[in-house]
Amino acid sequence: MYKFMDDENGERQPAATDTAQTGEGLILMKNIWKTYQMGVEELHALRDVSFSVNKGEYLAIIGPSGSGKSTLMNLIGCLDSPTKGDYWINGNLVSTMTDDELARIRNKEIGFVFQTFNLLARATALHNVELPLIYAGMGSGERYEKAQAALASVELGDRVGHKPNELSGGQRQRVAIARALVNHPSILLADEPTGALDSKTSVEIMALFEKLHAEGNTIIIVTHEHEVAERAHRVITIRDGRIENDEKIK
Amino acid sequence: MIRLLGSRFYENLMMALDTLRGNKLRSFLTIFGVVVGVITVMLISSIISGINVAVEKQVESFGTRSIFLYKFNIGFSTGRRSREERMRKPLTVEDSDAIKNLPSIETSVPFLDVSNNFWGSKILVTGRNGKSSSAVQLQGTLPEIEKTTTEVLMAGRWFSQSESDEKANVCLIGSSVVDTYFPYTDPVGEELDIGGTPFRVIGVLEKKEQLFGGGGGNNDQSNVIYMPLGAALKLKPNEDDLFILAVAREGMLDQAKDDVEDLLRVRRRVPYGQPNNFSMETAASIIEQFKSITAGVAAAMIVISSIGLMIGGIGVMNIMLVSVTERTREIGIRKAIGARQGDILLQFLIEAATLTGFGGLVGLLIGWLLTLLVKLVLPSYVPLWAPIAGFFASVGIGLVFGLWPAWKAARLDPIESLRYE
Ligand SMILES: Nc1ncnc2c1ncn2[C@@H]1O[C@H](COP(=O)(O)OP(=O)(O)OP(=O)(O)O)[C@@H](O)[C@H]1O
Ligand SMILES: [Mg+2]
Repeated sequence: MYKFMDDENGERQPAATDTAQTGEGLILMKNIWKTYQMGVEELHALRDVSFSVNKGEYLAIIGPSGSGKSTLMNLIGCLDSPTKGDYWINGNLVSTMTDDELARIRNKEIGFVFQTFNLLARATALHNVELPLIYAGMGSGERYEKAQAALASVELGDRVGHKPNELSGGQRQRVAIARALVNHPSILLADEPTGALDSKTSVEIMALFEKLHAEGNTIIIVTHEHEVAERAHRVITIRDGRIENDEKIK
Repeated sequence: MIRLLGSRFYENLMMALDTLRGNKLRSFLTIFGVVVGVITVMLISSIISGINVAVEKQVESFGTRSIFLYKFNIGFSTGRRSREERMRKPLTVEDSDAIKNLPSIETSVPFLDVSNNFWGSKILVTGRNGKSSSAVQLQGTLPEIEKTTTEVLMAGRWFSQSESDEKANVCLIGSSVVDTYFPYTDPVGEELDIGGTPFRVIGVLEKKEQLFGGGGGNNDQSNVIYMPLGAALKLKPNEDDLFILAVAREGMLDQAKDDVEDLLRVRRRVPYGQPNNFSMETAASIIEQFKSITAGVAAAMIVISSIGLMIGGIGVMNIMLVSVTERTREIGIRKAIGARQGDILLQFLIEAATLTGFGGLVGLLIGWLLTLLVKLVLPSYVPLWAPIAGFFASVGIGLVFGLWPAWKAARLDPIESLRYE
């Protein structure tokens, strides 16, 4: 039912007014706070964060452990909601969205790659990649073809029938990347995508991200490693929940 | 849109089957209650249908045009008879004759049960082979019995009008009597000692269709001896507890019932507006009476089996709650890649319904095999509604008891479920 209503991005109400503020920006965050209530104490994981990301950017977020990088990524990925502040994606104000609208954004606009892959253990690589298409309501024939193509583009065309435990770590992460890409999202988010991989495999995965960026994808990547960050075109440094530095490096 | 929902349904069904395959033992234990519930429904419905068919056959063997008349209420009533009922005067041979003369009636025969003697003890039947039994039903009747379809003559003949008038000591015997006293010889022409008087056997009757496959006991309809009414009265002189069987002319059963009722009300002086002081039943009305009893039994059994299904349902709810907790992370992943609340709800509902629906199918299969066994004893069949109701009840149980766990799953927060260890 709802599928029907928000199928093409046409009639979302806040869009018209908000586009003015976002300009060409794909992502716009304004004065974002994320506060956890720990008993009587308040823990500010993010303090007054504001920034924007344009289409086609390759952005790395770095910072010490516990500085709020994952918290920020989860907000960008619409997995979590801010305590305070406004967030627009593609001109749509996220904070006023219903659960189902958020699900649609996660499905269509965002491809999320996790440090621990987060594949369905019992499903084959192909089925894992098909899943976002299932939730997008795509018919099985088209779905199969798209999933095959996505797996081929991460060079796993010959492993479609394997389950996650029949794949190497790097292969698993590539399945996860294929899954993130299969719906042609506006933006690809990766929270320490190489954190669980050895250095050789990490290099392969980073090369893949570069290739995807060259193809026109917008990418935000969280990382600890400076080599990884250096490949990006822009680096945001976070410390104690604040943006400490935001610089273009290419 | 429909196609979309259809494909999503199919996907979910496949995923559900996958999960069940992954948890075989647990799935089996969970559906056990449902399996038993459905087996019960199948068995009960087949047994009850079997009893109904058997009773129908037996009652109809007395003839579909038959009207049964007795001073007391005939049928399956329980409890003590009312004072009014106990005070009723018996029907008489003259009543039977008057009924016979009605234009809508083909014939009418009285029956007098003399199985018990004056002091209430059983009359003994002894054969030449030394066997002796008090369980034989002794019926005095008139030659008109030949025109009814109550008993079918297999060998010999019925007694004549003159034998009836002379109160001759002749008798016809049922197949069980043949088995007891004349297992190896032709009984016609032989003698039987009934209550000390020798009776000559002049005819043998066909075995009667028997509820529960027949065999011995007081209920054996073939353990019967018919003799002239006069001869029966010699065995038990003051017996007057008469039973009348009237047979309507072809196509005139309703008319005949009205006529007989009017006639007996006049003859027995029932005041206008008062209820009958006798009972009148037909094969159809007795079958109906009986069916209303079995329907009551069926209702009670269905309540019991639905308690079984409920218990099964609680098992399903329990296992689904466990499953939701175990799969919190999976739910988080699904939500992270775009599953809506409705998708998750549907997934778990379909999983629960698949689980119990599968249980229902297993129950249907086992139940069906068991009804084949029932068929050996009863002319039973499984009414179509039973498997359909059984299956839909199982699926329904899954949907109802799966709703809460599925709702819990659907409402999980994406980020918290992803962090869940
Ligand atoms: N659910 C939560 N409840 C309470 N505090 C939380 C929760 N999630 C995160 N935090 C806190 O918020 C802060 C930021 O956490 P976050 O996971 O964003 O750090 P990070 O920069 O990703 O660190 P790392 O590099 O180690 O992954 C931390 O101090 C953490 O303890
Ligand atoms: Mg982190």
